[in-house]
Amino acid sequence: MIEVINLTKVFRKPVRQEGVFGMFKTLFSRKYEETTAVNSINFKINDGEIVGYIGSNGAGKSTTIKMLCGILMPTSGKVLIDNEEPYKKRKKIANKIGVVFGQKTQLWWDIALIETFKILKDIYQISDQEYEERLSFINEVLGIKEFINQPVRTLSLGQRMRADLAASWIHNPEILFLDEPTIGLDVLVKQKIRDAIKLMNEKYHTTVILTTHDMTDIENLCSRVILIDKGNIIYDGPLSNIKHKFGDLRTVEIRTKKDLDIDSLDHFDNLVTYTKNDCSISISFDNDKIKLETIVDYAFKHLEATDMKISEISIEQVVKSILAKEDK
Amino acid sequence: MFRYIKLYFSYIKQSIIGRLEFKADLFISIFAFFLASASSLGTIYLTISSVPSLIDSNGISWTFWEIGLIYGFSLIPIGLDHLFTDELWRVAYFRVANGTVDRYFLRPLPILFQIIAERFQFDAFGELIVGIFLIVICSLNTSVCWNFQAIFLLIVASVFGAIIISSLKIIFSSLAFRFKKSGPLLQIVYNFRDYSRYPINIFPKVLQFILCFAFPFGLFSSLPFEAILKGTYNCYYLSFIIAGVSILFLSFSMFIWIINIRKYESTGS
Repeated sequence: MIEVINLTKVFRKPVRQEGVFGMFKTLFSRKYEETTAVNSINFKINDGEIVGYIGSNGAGKSTTIKMLCGILMPTSGKVLIDNEEPYKKRKKIANKIGVVFGQKTQLWWDIALIETFKILKDIYQISDQEYEERLSFINEVLGIKEFINQPVRTLSLGQRMRADLAASWIHNPEILFLDEPTIGLDVLVKQKIRDAIKLMNEKYHTTVILTTHDMTDIENLCSRVILIDKGNIIYDGPLSNIKHKFGDLRTVEIRTKKDLDIDSLDHFDNLVTYTKNDCSISISFDNDKIKLETIVDYAFKHLEATDMKISEISIEQVVKSILAKEDK
Repeated sequence: MFRYIKLYFSYIKQSIIGRLEFKADLFISIFAFFLASASSLGTIYLTISSVPSLIDSNGISWTFWEIGLIYGFSLIPIGLDHLFTDELWRVAYFRVANGTVDRYFLRPLPILFQIIAERFQFDAFGELIVGIFLIVICSLNTSVCWNFQAIFLLIVASVFGAIIISSLKIIFSSLAFRFKKSGPLLQIVYNFRDYSRYPINIFPKVLQFILCFAFPFGLFSSLPFEAILKGTYNCYYLSFIIAGVSILFLSFSMFIWIINIRKYESTGS
C-alpha cells in the first residue's frame, strides 16, 4: 500500500539574470527563487489498483513519481510504501518497485537486450525457474523474443519501450511506476503496452501508477484518476465521475473556406467556448448539454466548413474545466 | 560481500561485451593505447632528462634514474584507481546534469557500487605497464635495494594510494549531486598528481603540506622513495601512516557521498 502524507517538494534555484553580465551577477548573488513543484498532497493507493496520475506539463507528476520511487527527497511530508519511506530505505523498497521513465531508458545501451535481463536476474536474485516463467510471460504479452538478441541502441522506440516495461517487471514488483509509458508510440504499440499492463495487474496483482497525456490510456486502464495541477491535487476519484461532474467535453476543429466573420456563437447560448483563427475555428462543448450533431450541422450550414476534426477531450481541457468549476 | 563480488563481475562482463560490440572502435582504442603509452614514455624521458640531478631543500641529491623511479611508481596507484573508478568522471562532468544517474537510485544496490561497476577502464593498463617498465629500467641503474620492507611499502603505497585517489574522486564528484556539475573542480584536484612525480622537498612548504595531507599524492608516491632510497623515514612506519590516512579519506568520502546524494534533484520530465 502506498500512502502519501502532506508531500511537498520545493526546488530552490538562484535567480538568473540575462546576458553575460547577468551570468556573472548570478554567480555572486544570493537571491533564490523557490518553486513549489508539489504542494502538500495526500492520497492512498491500495494493492492491486491501477491509478492514472495525470496533469498538464510541469504540473508536478514526475516530481511526485520520483519521490515515490526514492530518487528525490521530499522537502516536507512523507511517502510510505508498506510503512517505509522509499528515499530512506531505498535498497529495500527498490526490490518491491519497478519503474519506467518513458523519456529515459534504464536498459544497458550497448549490449543485447537478453544480457540486460541476465544482469537484472543477478541484481534481484531471481531463481532460474521464476526467471524462465516470467520471461515467457513477458514474451507472451509484449513479444520481445523477436528482438531480444539485438543491442538496445538498435531498437526502435516501440521495441525499446516494450523492453523497458519488461525489464521493470522482471523481478515481479508489487508496484509499477510508469511515467509516460506510451509517449511517442503508434496506436498498435500503445495498445500492446496497455494490454500488457492490464495482464500484469490481473495475473500478478501488480499495483500500477501511471502518468500519461493520452486519455485513451486512462480510459482503457484506470479505475481511478488523480489529477494534479501546479502541484495541487484537484481531483481524486473514478474517471466516470469527472465526466459526470464536469461534463463530457469534446472539441470540434473546423476549417472554413473564407475568413470567419462572426463575433460570437450566440446561437448556442454560451454552451460552447471557441477560439478562432484565420480560416479555422475550434469549438469546445459539453456533449451532455449540446449534441455533436447540432454543432456539425451548424458548421456546414452557417460556417461553410470544408474540413472537420472531432477530437477527444484532452487532459488540459479537463484541468481547465475543473478549475473553472472551482472558481464559480 | 560475496554477492557484490559476483555482481561486479557480471557488470564488468556486460561492459566488456558492450566494448566488443564496436569492432572498429576497439581496434582504434588498442592502437591509441600503445601510441599513448609510447608517447607518455617519451614525455617522461624529456621531462626528467632536462633535470639531470636535483638537490632538494634538505640537501639530498636525486639522480636522473631516481627521479625516473619516483615517476614510474607514481603511475601505479593512479593506474589502479583509473582501472576501477573512471565512471566517476562522467558522473561529475555530465551524468548528474543530464539525469542519467536516476536509474542507479532504482536498483537495490548501493549507488556508488553501481557507478563503479559500470566501467572497467582498460586504458589504465597503459599507466600500469609504463609504470612497471620505468620502475624496472630505473632500478637497474640505481643502487636501490629491493628488500622485503621496500616491496612491502610499495605494495601498501600502491593499494592504499589508489584508495586515497578514489576517495578524492568520490568526494569531488559527489559535489555534482549538489551543484549539478563538478568535473572542472575534480580536474583541479586530480591535477595535483603532477606534483607527485618529483621528490617532495623541492616544493615550497605550503605545497608540501597540501601534498601530504590535503591531496596526499606526495604521501604515497614520492615519500616512499625517501624511505627506500635515502632512509629518511622508516618503511613500516610510513606504510602504517599511508594505510591510516587512506582509511580516514575513504570513511570521510563515504560520509560526504551520502550527504551530497540526498541533495540530488534529478532533471525535469
